[in-house]
Amino acid sequence: MSVINIEEIKAVMEAAVPGAQMEVILNPSPSAQHSLLLPREHALELARFLRHDATLCFDYCSNATGVDWPDLETTEKIRTKTTVDGVDKEVEETRKTLRSGYLEAVYHLFSMEKKHGPLVVRMRTADRGANVTLPSLTPIWRGCEFQEREIFDLYGIVFTGHPDLRRLLMWEDFKDHPMRKDYVEPSEDDGTTLLAASAEGGTAV
Amino acid sequence: MDEDLKIQLGKQGVFTTTLEEVYNWGRKSSVWPLTFGLACCAIEMIATTMARYDLARFGAEVFRPSPRQADLIIVSGTVTKKMAPQVVRLYNQMPEPKYVIAMGACAISGGPFRDGYNVLKGIDRYIPVDVHIPGCPPRPEALIYGFMELQKRIVEQELTGVRRPAHTVVAAPSEFNVPEFGEHGLEPPMNPTIAPRPQLVQINIPTSVQASPTPAEKTTTA
Amino acid sequence: MTFVDSPLTRITVLLVGAIGFGLGPLALAWLWARVYSPNKPGRWKNATYECGLESKGDPRIQFKVEYYLYAIVFLIFDVETVFVLPFAAAFTGLSAASCVAMLVFVLLLVEGLIWACGKGILRWV
Repeated sequence: MSVINIEEIKAVMEAAVPGAQMEVILNPSPSAQHSLLLPREHALELARFLRHDATLCFDYCSNATGVDWPDLETTEKIRTKTTVDGVDKEVEETRKTLRSGYLEAVYHLFSMEKKHGPLVVRMRTADRGANVTLPSLTPIWRGCEFQEREIFDLYGIVFTGHPDLRRLLMWEDFKDHPMRKDYVEPSEDDGTTLLAASAEGGTAV
Repeated sequence: MDEDLKIQLGKQGVFTTTLEEVYNWGRKSSVWPLTFGLACCAIEMIATTMARYDLARFGAEVFRPSPRQADLIIVSGTVTKKMAPQVVRLYNQMPEPKYVIAMGACAISGGPFRDGYNVLKGIDRYIPVDVHIPGCPPRPEALIYGFMELQKRIVEQELTGVRRPAHTVVAAPSEFNVPEFGEHGLEPPMNPTIAPRPQLVQINIPTSVQASPTPAEKTTTA
Repeated sequence: MTFVDSPLTRITVLLVGAIGFGLGPLALAWLWARVYSPNKPGRWKNATYECGLESKGDPRIQFKVEYYLYAIVFLIFDVETVFVLPFAAAFTGLSAASCVAMLVFVLLLVEGLIWACGKGILRWV
């Protein structure tokens, strides 16, 4: 499998689908598998282009998975110049920025015909609460059908356009989404009682 | 029957037995398991039935596909919460006398996947287990040893008295409640009538014992 | 009562012995089961088996009417053979008229076979 150049692909895609703004998310690890963030509105068109284009020809989606990004608050200390009582001073300010959370679906695409890949594409939802819809890529790659069902089951992302969106691993009436960061396991206390500790001091075994 | 008399008669060529012994011998020598494999332990169970380890020589020749014809259910593999009601229903549909072997760490207590969102923490939450076989997975020899333990249990059962098998007692339950799919887990999370839960004692090691390092920590690896 | 040694008494004794040989163990097993295998029916134990799931739907399915074709072909081949066999056994002692009657019978069934062939059911698809 030959490695792909993500900037080139981004340029070709932006030329093919006008109005689509994508972002390259760099991967700092040694694998250097950078991913392409697709906008939700044009994702289906972009995916169709990726599949049917003669040079790119990404005809195999090997994996689709979900990621849960909760709200992130970053604090940074900045040195700014302010005037205090008429004197210029350098003051350290702590600035807090809040990045609101979202859910993400990540797809790994390969080309069986051209023998290149993987191309990693991502799609993000608006937030982790009410707006958790993403376009389904199952009409383009059939292999995404079960993978997107699993993402729906474990993360809660609703894929519009999916032929059969229902839970895969858990049962239909299950209410939670287990792979979210704020999932709380039910207490399954089975009545095992802990009697008093025997000796004093020391560490528990 | 007096044991010495039995041996003496045996030397003379006279074989004596009791009805109870014959009954239990017949039962232990033809325990037919249900074909029930869930995960990796099922592969070891299949290997045990194959030529090298051969469970057939112990009487478990035919693995029945229907619970109506099976005596034993070997729960081999991780029991997910989605599968648990089906396991209990199959156990309920087996006719008496029936036995359960929990094979592998996952069937005993949830095993390495105990904290999973879909893993049942041991099948003995819903059905009574006769023999637990630890291992991940247990070797075929271990499964055969567990099977022989079950045979010993069957031989020890008497026809009358306190140690009667459960199928001769009308009051003993022959089926157990099937758990339902709840909103956050199974309802109920366990069946308290199955087995008494253990009472654990927390042991604290005094600090003086901990002071000396173990020999493994002293040596340095190359 | 004196026992007369005739073949009838011998057969009667053997008959009683044979029936007893069959029914005896069954009776013993029934007696054993009355004491040591009490009936313990239950709601789930008697439920229909469907691989561990709760059974849905009616177990009775509608029988396919297309199987009547099998019945017709069976009639042609099998029942015809049954009627032809005694004719074949007594062939040498029969008159020419009986031969013609049997030929008519066979031709009627061959007409049925031609109809089935025309319907295409003899093709192995």
